[in-house]
Amino acid sequence: MNNSLEATTNEVDASSYGEKEKLGSRLSMRIFLTNEFGLLALIVVFVIIFTILQPGFISKYSLFALGRTAAVNIIIGFSMMVVIITGGLNLAVGSIGVCAAMFSGWLMQSIGVPWPIALLGGLAMGAGLGALDGIVIVRSGLHSFIITLASMSIFFGIMIFLTHAGSYREIAPEVIAPGRMRLFGYVSPLLLITFVVAGLLSILFRYTATGRQMLAAGASPETAELSGVRVNRMTILCHALSGVLAGIAGLMLVSRTGAAIPSMAGQLGQDWLLPAFLGPVLGGTLLTGGRASVLGTLLGALLVTTLTTGLLLLQIGAFWLQTYLGLLLLVAVLMDRVRRSYLARKKLV
Amino acid sequence: MNAQFGNYRESDWFGPLLITIGAIIIVGWMKPSFLSSFNIQILLLAISVNALIAFSQMMIIAIGQMNLSVGAIGGMAAIAFAGMMEVWHIHWTLAAFLALCIGLVAGITNGILVAWTGISAFVITLATLSVYKGINLGITEAQPFYNIPDTVKSLGNDTFFGPLPWMILPTIVVAFGLWYLLRRLPLGRFILAVGGNSHAAELSGISVTRTVIAAHAISGLLAALAGVMLVGRLQLGQPSIGDDWLILSFAAPVIGGAVLTGGKVSVASTLLGVVIVVIINQVLVLFNIDPYLVQVVLGALILWAVGMNRWREVRTGKNEQRVSA
Amino acid sequence: MSEFVFEAKGLCKSFPGVMALQDVNMKLSAGSIHALLGENGAGKSTLIKIVTGIHKHDAGDVFVDGAQLELHGPRDAISKGIGVVHQERNLIPRFSISENMFLEQLSSHPLRSIDFEILHLKARYWLDMLELDSDPKTPVQKLSVAKMQLVEIAKALSLNSHILFLDEPTASLTPHETKNLFSILRRLRDDGVCMIFVSHKLEEVQEICDQVTVLRDGKNACESRSMLGLDRQDIVRLMIGRSEQIPIWEARDRTNTKPVLELNKASTSIGHRDVNLTVHKGEIVGLYGLVGAGRTELAKSILGKYLVVSGEVLVNGKVATINSVADAVGKYKIGYVSEDRKSEGLVLMHSILENVGMTVWQRLSKGVAFLTNRAIRSQTVPFINKLEVKSPSLEQHVGNLSGGNQQKVSVAKWLAAGVNILIIDEPSVGIDIKTKAYLHELIRELSDEGTAILLITSDMPEMITLADRIVVMNDYLVMGELPNTRDYTEMSEGIMQLIHDAEETAESFVQVTS
Repeated sequence: MNNSLEATTNEVDASSYGEKEKLGSRLSMRIFLTNEFGLLALIVVFVIIFTILQPGFISKYSLFALGRTAAVNIIIGFSMMVVIITGGLNLAVGSIGVCAAMFSGWLMQSIGVPWPIALLGGLAMGAGLGALDGIVIVRSGLHSFIITLASMSIFFGIMIFLTHAGSYREIAPEVIAPGRMRLFGYVSPLLLITFVVAGLLSILFRYTATGRQMLAAGASPETAELSGVRVNRMTILCHALSGVLAGIAGLMLVSRTGAAIPSMAGQLGQDWLLPAFLGPVLGGTLLTGGRASVLGTLLGALLVTTLTTGLLLLQIGAFWLQTYLGLLLLVAVLMDRVRRSYLARKKLV
Repeated sequence: MNAQFGNYRESDWFGPLLITIGAIIIVGWMKPSFLSSFNIQILLLAISVNALIAFSQMMIIAIGQMNLSVGAIGGMAAIAFAGMMEVWHIHWTLAAFLALCIGLVAGITNGILVAWTGISAFVITLATLSVYKGINLGITEAQPFYNIPDTVKSLGNDTFFGPLPWMILPTIVVAFGLWYLLRRLPLGRFILAVGGNSHAAELSGISVTRTVIAAHAISGLLAALAGVMLVGRLQLGQPSIGDDWLILSFAAPVIGGAVLTGGKVSVASTLLGVVIVVIINQVLVLFNIDPYLVQVVLGALILWAVGMNRWREVRTGKNEQRVSA
Repeated sequence: MSEFVFEAKGLCKSFPGVMALQDVNMKLSAGSIHALLGENGAGKSTLIKIVTGIHKHDAGDVFVDGAQLELHGPRDAISKGIGVVHQERNLIPRFSISENMFLEQLSSHPLRSIDFEILHLKARYWLDMLELDSDPKTPVQKLSVAKMQLVEIAKALSLNSHILFLDEPTASLTPHETKNLFSILRRLRDDGVCMIFVSHKLEEVQEICDQVTVLRDGKNACESRSMLGLDRQDIVRLMIGRSEQIPIWEARDRTNTKPVLELNKASTSIGHRDVNLTVHKGEIVGLYGLVGAGRTELAKSILGKYLVVSGEVLVNGKVATINSVADAVGKYKIGYVSEDRKSEGLVLMHSILENVGMTVWQRLSKGVAFLTNRAIRSQTVPFINKLEVKSPSLEQHVGNLSGGNQQKVSVAKWLAAGVNILIIDEPSVGIDIKTKAYLHELIRELSDEGTAILLITSDMPEMITLADRIVVMNDYLVMGELPNTRDYTEMSEGIMQLIHDAEETAESFVQVTS
């Protein structure tokens, strides 16, 4: 019984805020209290609402586009999530993502490297930049906020300087294809890639020592260190992983747009910050670290994408979109706070 | 009196002052036009606005938090200012006043959300940043407001005495006011107390909630002032005002020795930090260095400054006892 | 006009599921130093929180200077003359002494300028009273911990506290500073202040207190009685309901087995000099010393958290290169049960399984691709069961367990790791008697099975119960070593002598230089 619940929710902390203690008859009740179920319910509700208001919402193309956009947002969310686990922040996700994408583009266009190598190069760049952040954070003992605030501008600035703010448009067709293809009319291959990544992350945090150590190191670095966990190494790994994921997101965008453009994530990459936080926060990842919910982040990002797509389709002020998302983040953190204190109080009684 | 200044080397403004003087001398020697009256005017105009941006963030660093929405509030106030004048034909003084009120309200909102919910200021201001920016875009639909009254344009660019522009006056008043606030007024001391050790502050009867809200209110007000002044300087109401304020808002206070955990900020050093940043900016332009490298330099400056502050804290910490918070 | 400055009558307070205080009485007189004693969980901190206005009592009455009143919060308590000096320092680091002292009275209006000169003068008055010669303009972070504490006392006095709670005031003080503090407390007592001295250090309580209230299980075990005629055994009996029992394990000598851990003239980066220490297989070596002696720091140096800069560390006879804790744990099988289990021994937000498994993940994942919960359980559950951790499920968050169970989890983690050398730091702090006895049995059993144990404890009876040999440390140096005869009087005198000699040397040094 315990196993099936764990398999369904795919959660990595093996106890949803203590709910899974009681097995048996209370089990089905507990599912409904989980964050993930709530998100799923909200997604369904909004899909229904949007469809009623605009039947074109569930047209094949619409769902395809939604899935494709969600794919990137989810990965961006994962990228931030793995750093939040350490109790820190990575403001440089957009910056690193763009650098990885531009590096890939440069390899393909200026060097003429075959596309698989170029893609790997992009990922390596993401990993390298992330690892660099991690090393500086560990060595200096400074908070990741200020380090990644600085690195976001350093990475972006150097990239712009090297590329003279130019774009790379000669992208190999094999790379562009996944961004354009439609499987069964509904599904984008990018979404499939996202699911695979989600699966790999779940395995990491659940079935590998490294993943578990990352969570322990993030929850209580002192305890983890005194228990033999190499906390510094875990921090660096988390940042490197964040960089790789940012790179994946960047490459997905290249695939979708057919070009590597420096402004794809906004000035200094700051456009990615909001989606990067929305996914994990909605998904129940604690900003204090030590917990991760891969499924939650996925559903959270999916919910946000559903909302934005729906609002755009209903032509409710494209310019007001950012406002709605900001309000959504506010509501999400408030609701989460309320939910947590409710659960905490229930446990005491 | 001497005891209050303490050791010169230990004080925050000594290092930045040396660097500033050094930079001015070196650059002035290499490119004499740097010290021309016209150029000084340009520098002072930039300093006037940037200082307010830096002060806005500084007040929040003082309570140990961060305000990501500084740029968004500034942008919103700028658009409100320009829009009210162009669309509603309100006189610029009233429009400016209302824009400042908007900034104040935005700041108070931030403060209330942070203080009442206990959620980290980072997340709250990330959310409000999006809301305010969204409002900005929603109102302007990405189109600037062009109709700025001549008086405003003049105040935003002209001088009143030698190379001193009008714009420097509000900044000087604000700088002095903040210095006095943080040094001698209870509210300022409460802000620093909450940043230094909020638990101890609470036990001593300080209302942490009210102090946090006050700090955010001041921050919003200053950001709004920066936005309004920038409209005069740029001579139009650009929706993109505020987009690039984030890094600068942290760089200057940090160069000035501010400690991000709270309780230690310096008005004078932050001001010097702004001067340093502005000079560097100019230098890059003067020497035809790619303007994009500005970002790199700012980022590197932040790293260096934070590293230095940390090193200093650790070094003095070895000689003294730790205070557990 | 009551003769008592403070009276609590029939106080009751309960929290969900727990009756913290039941019908508790306490009478405080002016000009006395009143001890408030009790084991952890006896209700001491609840009583203090009620009296200082943090909690509201459910039933009973509180009288201050004869007048019955309700306290509406900490500020209200202060206004009625009740002050607290907490265990942790509550000062603003960068503010001056004067500003810290008068923080709440800086000015009548938030926007009226502060006159610092007057503040400094006012502070000077109170500092002189406490014979603290620091300049009131000094930023508090530049002071020693002892002086900071005096500043807090000065602050409480300046707020007209005539009832002053002192919570574990000597926890971070050297013996010299403690002596200084006591003389100040005595003077305050003579001036009519009533102080409530909350401490676990019974020797100090006997030295300075004239009255005592003991709580046990939420009720009065004794109520505001005079200290005259009470000796240590009497106090302990009141606190735990029976005399301290020194279990009857006989003295044993394990020095003929092979040495598992050796430190030869080891000096560390944090100040230890020429430490010689040996722990043999199956031996329990006790490390005794006062606060600040450097025992925990030595343990952490062995563990690799701090560097050993000269001399050598030998494990099983071979030189050990320990550059990080991961080396010590993984390569040399050294474990450390921390004294601060909440922040160093456990991950409170994680489950029991996740906590105990922390030391086995690395080992289990070698070769095999997937690290399953089942594999982890197989390596950890036997030890969780052995320690009899009481919990409805393994997924329970450790933060929700009782202190005793938490400690069991932190020990189980190391048993699961299969360590050969186990350093145990203050195992019984905040633990109920039953679990404490259980842990003692366990430690004895572990050593019988061959584990080499280094035991750090400030609890003398515990030390004499368990240790085969006792090493005494003071000021980051090893002072001497005694084989444990299990005779309490003989051993405690021997240990005290070693420390006393060290203190005398230190004091004469201080006298020469001051």
